[in-house]
Amino acid sequence: MNCTEPLQTQAYLDGELNGTQAQAAEAHLQTCEECQALAAQIADLSDALRKATRYRAPQALRSRILARLDREPVRSSARSFWFGAASGTMVSAIAAAAIILAIVPPAATTLAQSVAQAHARALTDGQTIAVASSNHHTVKPWLAAHAGLSPPVADFASQGFVLAGGRVDEVAGRPAAVMVYHHGNHELDLFAWPDRGSHLPSSGMSYGFRIRVWKSGDVDFAAVSDVDAQAFQKFVELVQAERE
Amino acid sequence: MDDRRRRFEAQALPHLDAAYSLARWLSRSPADADDIVQDAMLRAFRAFDGFRGTDAKAWLLAIVRNCWLSAGTAARRRGHTSLEDENLVADGADPEEAAIQEGARRRLDAMISRLPAEFREILILREMEDMSYREIAQITGVPIGTVMSRLARSRTMLREIAMEGP
Repeated sequence: MNCTEPLQTQAYLDGELNGTQAQAAEAHLQTCEECQALAAQIADLSDALRKATRYRAPQALRSRILARLDREPVRSSARSFWFGAASGTMVSAIAAAAIILAIVPPAATTLAQSVAQAHARALTDGQTIAVASSNHHTVKPWLAAHAGLSPPVADFASQGFVLAGGRVDEVAGRPAAVMVYHHGNHELDLFAWPDRGSHLPSSGMSYGFRIRVWKSGDVDFAAVSDVDAQAFQKFVELVQAERE
Repeated sequence: MDDRRRRFEAQALPHLDAAYSLARWLSRSPADADDIVQDAMLRAFRAFDGFRGTDAKAWLLAIVRNCWLSAGTAARRRGHTSLEDENLVADGADPEEAAIQEGARRRLDAMISRLPAEFREILILREMEDMSYREIAQITGVPIGTVMSRLARSRTMLREIAMEGP
């Protein structure tokens, strides 16, 4: 494989390019044998896949769904739903997360939204923890190696916030270290990333989660969770005190 | 019928077949697909007031995928991974020809089913649902670059599976 353009050629064949990009891809395709072979393979595959099954929803399922919708209250249930997400158990948070992911556009416009989206994505995928440990001597070096940032990792088990592990996530397109804490049935994620001089929103609710964002030294922090306001405040104070 | 229900039936319900097809291809089981789609349509309906976009199909398919992920843990616990076949009505006039086509179709379906889920979903969305890279990225929650590389990889893998034979 010598050609460096196969993904660009694929994008061209999938109708993703236009204007000068498409012209450049077409010109490349005229001269590159690898991409010509690729084009033939993609065309063959598309032909074959046209014969594969496209399933249609069974009529019984359609009827069942319509009947189920008939039983839904006429008034919007969105409010009680979000209330549940903000105050209920992890299960309702996950249900909410599934919906949030569908609603939030791919380019979240603010840091807070980006943090909420990352939290929701992790909850939905059941992948909030990549390194599971209540030992900060385990979590800290793992995050240092994988997130390129050595965040202050502390356990607040005696105050009710148990360190459960960590993961690497993405906030507004940049990697962030995440420390995961459990508080009863609830999960709190503490994000940390090197400060980029962004304007930081201080606090609020985003998509049903409580969020607090602050800067400490050259590191930005964001706490996000569905715990109640009092527990959330306590957690933030513990983390901030630990840093000072 | 209230306004939300009317809008839902006009904008989301036309994509029920696409929702079901995606659920079938992801779960590889008619029974699981039924549950996933019913759950997804209900969630979509409840969240519909919050839907402001124009791409209802991508929005709905993202919910289907999330429901499949949530259901995944339960299905794995049951040890359910087999590809269940169903009786399909062949519409060809020639029964022998129809049987040959049916056999080819089944082999193709089985090959697609052997792709790992994260590749299968991207191939299905692109080739069967004709979604753009951007829509696929939105539905699967991965960057467009990842969509492109997974799509290329899934095409290569499917070709390799085809060459291996059943």
